[in-house]
Amino acid sequence: MNEGRVIASNVEKVYRSERTPTTAIEDLSFEVGDGEFFSVVGPSGCGKSTLLYLIAGFLDVTSGMITVNDHAVEGPGTDRGVVFQDYALFPWKTVMGNVTYGLAENGVPKDERRETAQHFIDTMGLDGFEDTYPKELSGGMKQRVGLARTLAYDPKILLMDEPFGALDQPLREALQDNLLDIWRELGKTVVFITHDVEEAVYLSERVLIMTRHPGTRKQVIDIDLDRTQDREAIITSEEFTETKNEVWRSLREETKHTV
Amino acid sequence: MSYLHSEKAGIVSTGVRHVGDVVVRWLPLLIVTGLWELASGWVVVETVLPPPLDVLIIAVDLVVSGQIVGDLLVSLWRIIWGLSLAIGVGVVLGVTMARVDPIEDFFGVFMSLIYPLPKTALVPLAVLWLGSGSGTAILVVFLACLLPIVLNSYNAAESVDQNLVWSAKMMGTSDRDMFRRVVVPAAIPEIITGIRQAVPIAFVALVSAELIAANRGIGYRILSYGQLGIYESMLAVIVVISLAAYVGVRGFERIERRVLVWT
Ligand SMILES: Nc1ncnc2c1ncn2[C@@H]1O[C@H](COP(=O)(O)OP(=O)(O)OP(=O)(O)O)[C@@H](O)[C@H]1O
Ligand SMILES: [Mg+2]
Repeated sequence: MNEGRVIASNVEKVYRSERTPTTAIEDLSFEVGDGEFFSVVGPSGCGKSTLLYLIAGFLDVTSGMITVNDHAVEGPGTDRGVVFQDYALFPWKTVMGNVTYGLAENGVPKDERRETAQHFIDTMGLDGFEDTYPKELSGGMKQRVGLARTLAYDPKILLMDEPFGALDQPLREALQDNLLDIWRELGKTVVFITHDVEEAVYLSERVLIMTRHPGTRKQVIDIDLDRTQDREAIITSEEFTETKNEVWRSLREETKHTV
Repeated sequence: MSYLHSEKAGIVSTGVRHVGDVVVRWLPLLIVTGLWELASGWVVVETVLPPPLDVLIIAVDLVVSGQIVGDLLVSLWRIIWGLSLAIGVGVVLGVTMARVDPIEDFFGVFMSLIYPLPKTALVPLAVLWLGSGSGTAILVVFLACLLPIVLNSYNAAESVDQNLVWSAKMMGTSDRDMFRRVVVPAAIPEIITGIRQAVPIAFVALVSAELIAANRGIGYRILSYGQLGIYESMLAVIVVISLAAYVGVRGFERIERRVLVWT
């Protein structure tokens, strides 16, 4: 029941809001297994965010189908949690208020709410900032609140849209390792969008490379790394470098067409 | 030693800057008062334009002796009613117009009709319906304040960040709850901006309405002193209501800062 399988079959998404319809995604199929860490890379504008919003149920597919645990996606649900690139925190709520929001909406009693929220606030290293409003937080801290808020209501599937894109390298690395720990510990399925090849290879078990606009599947690459090692050992390993180069080559072909 | 010295210099220079700020802030008022003082007697005879100090003394006397306190309270009472009604109706209307298309189509027409209309033009008509008492004044204040409040609430609710709505949705907020959980709080800063614009408008509308049709209130007092030719008192009442408006605006800004700690 509580699994996190995502299947996209022949997904097409056309935006019709403007005078000329834009095909953002075309004939895209892939599968993400339960508990898998799955990354998506592709040139800018190829439809990565669109894909994430389709899985989240914020947007409807134009044709084809997306299923989560064999049920067609029909709108947002608490089995999926999005971590937005621009955080999307409620500015009128404190850190605690933001993190407890999802729990409150799902009828969790107040004491339990605070306890759960506190746990994830601590996990994210945000203790001491419970009563702070988002405007007083740095970008990295906001992103951690975003992650804590999503983890707190315990969705089976995490959908992350370039969550660490705006952060400096050391913070990025710290949050990446933080995320890997959480992923291992909580056994969530992660669909992770990034434009950073190294990040994709370091974090995930498989990477989907999308073609340039309109986006479709170019290639899915398996990543086989010895994850018992620490970061230093992983990123200096031969497999890491090779996989990274393979993804790079594939991606560069697409970007070359664009320019 | 040199550290101490520079520290002191710092304090002095911020002190000077502070004094400078105060001077700059009050300078316009000082200039106007100065020109007034000069004009009175030189340009215009004193009976028509009494000197500012005389007016100030009379203003204080009118308030302290209680002569215009009753009218002031009546006027403030009308403002509070008109403004509160405008806030209540305006916020609900603006927010729902932004989120519900049929409501926008329906009320949008009324709004564009009311928009260019000088609200005081309605006074003679309102007098027929409501008499020349508080009803008319409240109606005019209400109509004049409604627009900035509706417009700001509408813009605010329409431009609520889509990602905020989506993130609430994914955490389980129903469409029905989305209004009060996300749309309204997200719109509050701009709604309050609309209300802040409405506060001085309320004073203007009220005094205009009372000047045209009223048997009590500050506007009525200004008119009757004017008709009697007691210009010191007329100007004094104007000073009093200006001061009341200033206090009202400042007081509102203070409340605003309290409410909007998170912006
Ligand atoms: N609301 C919309 N209306 C119309 N077209 C849109 C809309 N949102 C996105 N698009 C178009 O769909 C395509 C894919 O957009 P999307 O934001 O999914 O790309 P992306 O891969 O996330 O890009 P980036 O890497 O720059 O974030 C783009 O061509 C974009 O112009
Ligand atoms: Mg994007």
